[in-house]
Amino acid sequence: MTIPPSVKPTLKLQDVHLKLGSDAGPVHILRGINLEIMPGETIGVIGPSGSGKTSFLMIAAGLETTTSGTVTACGTTYNGLNEDALAEFRRDHVGVVFQNFHLVPSMTALENVALPMEFARKDGAFERAQVELEAVGLGHRIHHYPGQLSGGEQQRVALARAFVTEPEILLADEPTGSLDQGTGEQVMQMLFDLQNRNGTTLILVTHAPDLAAQCSRLIKLADGQVVSDEVISENA
Amino acid sequence: MPNLTLSWRLARRELRGGFGRFRIFLACLILGVAAITAVGNLSESVLGGLRTDGKKLLGGDIDLRLLHRPASATQKTFLKAQAETYSESITMRAMVRPTTTRERRAMVELKAVDSAYPLVGQMETTPASSSKDSYALKDGSWGASVDANLLTRLQLKLGDTVKLGSITVQIRNTIIIEPDRVASVFSLGPRVMIDLKALHQSGLVQPGSQLRYHYKLTLPKSADPKAWQSTLAETFPKAGWRLRTPEEAAPGIKRFLERMTLFMSFTGLTVLLVGGLGITGAVRSYLDTKTETIATFKCLGAPGNLVFSIYMMQVLVIGTIGITIGLIIGGGSPIILLELIGNHLPVRPAIGLYSTPTLVAAVFGFLSTVTFALWPLGRARDVSAAHLFRFSLDTTARRPRWGYVIATLIGILLLALCTLYTSSDWFFALWFIIGSILTLVLLRFSAYLIMQIARKWKPGRGALWRLVQTNLHRPSTPTPNIVVSLGLGLTVLVAIGLIEGNLSRQISERIPERAPAFFFLDIQPGQVAEFDKAVTSVKGAGAYKRVPSLRGRIIQINGIPVEKAEVAPESQWAIRGDRALTYAANKDDVASAITQGEWWDAGYSGPPLISLDAGLARGFKVGLGDSLTLNVLGREITANIASLREIDWRSLKFDFAIVFAPGVLEGAPHSHIAAIEAVPEAEDAVERAATDTFANISAIRVRDALQAASVILSGIGAAVKGTAALTLIAGLIVLAGVMASEHRRRVYEAVVFKVLGAGYKRILCIYMLEYGILGLLTGAVAAGIGSLTAWAVIKFLMGSEWVFLPNIVILTVVLCVLMTTSVGLIGTWRALGQKAAPHLRDD
Repeated sequence: MTIPPSVKPTLKLQDVHLKLGSDAGPVHILRGINLEIMPGETIGVIGPSGSGKTSFLMIAAGLETTTSGTVTACGTTYNGLNEDALAEFRRDHVGVVFQNFHLVPSMTALENVALPMEFARKDGAFERAQVELEAVGLGHRIHHYPGQLSGGEQQRVALARAFVTEPEILLADEPTGSLDQGTGEQVMQMLFDLQNRNGTTLILVTHAPDLAAQCSRLIKLADGQVVSDEVISENA
Repeated sequence: MPNLTLSWRLARRELRGGFGRFRIFLACLILGVAAITAVGNLSESVLGGLRTDGKKLLGGDIDLRLLHRPASATQKTFLKAQAETYSESITMRAMVRPTTTRERRAMVELKAVDSAYPLVGQMETTPASSSKDSYALKDGSWGASVDANLLTRLQLKLGDTVKLGSITVQIRNTIIIEPDRVASVFSLGPRVMIDLKALHQSGLVQPGSQLRYHYKLTLPKSADPKAWQSTLAETFPKAGWRLRTPEEAAPGIKRFLERMTLFMSFTGLTVLLVGGLGITGAVRSYLDTKTETIATFKCLGAPGNLVFSIYMMQVLVIGTIGITIGLIIGGGSPIILLELIGNHLPVRPAIGLYSTPTLVAAVFGFLSTVTFALWPLGRARDVSAAHLFRFSLDTTARRPRWGYVIATLIGILLLALCTLYTSSDWFFALWFIIGSILTLVLLRFSAYLIMQIARKWKPGRGALWRLVQTNLHRPSTPTPNIVVSLGLGLTVLVAIGLIEGNLSRQISERIPERAPAFFFLDIQPGQVAEFDKAVTSVKGAGAYKRVPSLRGRIIQINGIPVEKAEVAPESQWAIRGDRALTYAANKDDVASAITQGEWWDAGYSGPPLISLDAGLARGFKVGLGDSLTLNVLGREITANIASLREIDWRSLKFDFAIVFAPGVLEGAPHSHIAAIEAVPEAEDAVERAATDTFANISAIRVRDALQAASVILSGIGAAVKGTAALTLIAGLIVLAGVMASEHRRRVYEAVVFKVLGAGYKRILCIYMLEYGILGLLTGAVAAGIGSLTAWAVIKFLMGSEWVFLPNIVILTVVLCVLMTTSVGLIGTWRALGQKAAPHLRDD
């Protein structure tokens, strides 16, 4: 994928540091991250445990406040935004997929998917949710509760929920970590299909190098720093 | 502003899982609301009965009462002319004994009526008979209707005769319903009803005798009662009678009921307070299980106030259900109770569901629900979406935003204001509020101390004590919840138990030590010398004292009518009706010591002077030289205060709040009263000596009176303790809630302990010790605070002698340990029953 020089990055991190307090003293988790991620890119983030992958994702989602540095996503700089403003920003621009799905157990698949649309007070939330569920092959399971679905189905519901608002950025944290290999591959295929359909910028945090290899760009973190950043496939 | 439609839609989805998770919440709220509703409706039903039956209880539209003396012929003529129907009666205390023996005798509440009685309602007797047949003179004996217990007491049967004064009275039937009788809370004997003519023949009507003359009348329908009263007051401005209308048919019972309602309402509010703490715990537990959902909402773009409104709506829905059930139970239980025991009450209750107490309970319920749920809801609002990524973030100790803290404080303030507004006594209500807050603060501080001590405690190397110690102070420990919730219920029980125990002890032990054996009433001036000789010469009789006695009503304080004068609540009793008066030349005739001013000379003959009780002087805000105006037998006497005396009423020594100097009351018709000490074996002989020769004189056996008072006190104590026990039940529910919220942790711990090789017994031992120690400490803290409260009430509010009663305190601590270990055992048993493997696979 060739990006014209006039196009602005979807996500930009400038000298981002993150320190968290603990009983044993402050822990320096991210140490000066500088990154520019362009629209439509698919980024694989890998690194050993404790390298700062999840913290990077949380910073990108606006779920964690940086100790220093600047985060700008879709033209909005996070610094100075309060929690509610960040929630509204996520609602309008960011989708998140988790390893443990995090569906609301008291709501049906349809209600779970409609939720971001409802939060955004958009009309036709349920019609749109149904379309999205059909797109992930769950048109026949829309009234089922998460507890009545398999792991793979739950993750597909989570994908539908993440894509229903057509976000510019999709953050995925080990999306196949709780699934068997076969199901995981199906889910990943679906994830890339949806990303491709919407032209979404995808940031995928994973332990699995083969999964990361499916992305167009691979960022390797170690000890809270970017140790490598390489474009691996123009067409991924 | 959150989108309320969206909040409601999401709240509804959350509630689809059913209400099982809200069991503790519901139980706490139902119990609190039901207690307040029940107390309010019970009281209203009885007070409503007083209102509805006011005319019947009064025996007419108007009741005029004169003490010691009858109305004049002019007054009677006026009353008869004005009334549609008119009746006269006299009530007094008198002695009766069977004509066949001198060994048994009893004091009775005598009521002599005319042929027009009753003006309202019907007299019912067994066997049924007309009043003419009941009371008429037949074969030389007057007739009487009596309370059935007189027959038992004197071993008599219908048709037997008794001696009343100088006449013989045949008992013809027993009373089932006496329409205008308001059963006195404190009565010295059974009722005997006779004809007025019989009383006048009995020799009991003597000048100065303690007779109450009642003139009852019904007014024509066209008459305006208010206008009629004005005309009466204008026609006989100095009559000195006490006028009552149906609205105030039984002021004593009304006051007693209002006071009981006040105390029981406060206990009900304490139940709600404990329940409120349970609500906080239950909402927190529920929201803890919702942390992931809330974080997901946040992650998907839900702002904090939307999260707050979603869960507040759920709380309100559950609250509404709980309050409704509480109102139904609280409204229904008095109806059932009154159907069962209504016949034993002083008045016929107007059974029903009353809107005011029900509404008050609903308001308290809603305010408590919102106030006690605000804190955990405020915290839930701030659950971070990052929780989905980083589970280890501990949020238990967080304080919600200041807005929620302030809203909680406003809720508490509103609850306090509601308590003040709905209470019949602001003074008590204020102390209740201050006491509750202080108790809560003390309990929370005690919990903090227990945790600090546990933290510093270094148990030996064994894992058992170390785990117990850790559980007492670890993050999310149940210590504060248990100490505060269970401690509050126990504190109330200890305080009430000790107060009642102290009062009972006063009546059953302390007072009899100092009290005389008998009081004698209605000794006529002409009988004085002979009576003195008769009773003091009995072998075994001890110290004897006799004083003149008559009654009068305080009508002005420093020239201001008492209705307009500023009188402290604790001195209101003195202006409520007629008070006993005496006169004395010598200081030695009065038991109490002078604290201000000087006693008059023995031969004083100047303007009227009085010596006043110092307590009343404080309540009336008067001092030396100020004046009181009294109506004594229709005559108004204004007297200046010459001295003040500090009276210890509990000594049961003869004393009078108002003692006149010589020269004022000697000429008024009056009688004497006397008291005598006697060894128990001599009591019967003293009674015979006093009442055989002097048939008009009544003897009050102090032992019987104290026993009656003791029975009343234990009845009141049982009612209050019964309500207070609900606070303990509320505490128990909260404890069960704590156990429920701890269940997951307990299961997890038990699984890990099992994996690490701990046996069943060992794990059980750890938990039993933890809950046993927590129960012991909570019981000890509650015993301490409860004892302190009881001491303050007895010492300062009642001005009485305080004795620490260890049994009650020990019982409370044991009860607390039993409760915590039992609930702990049940919870632990369930946790221990879990297989390790499934949990390990899940993790």
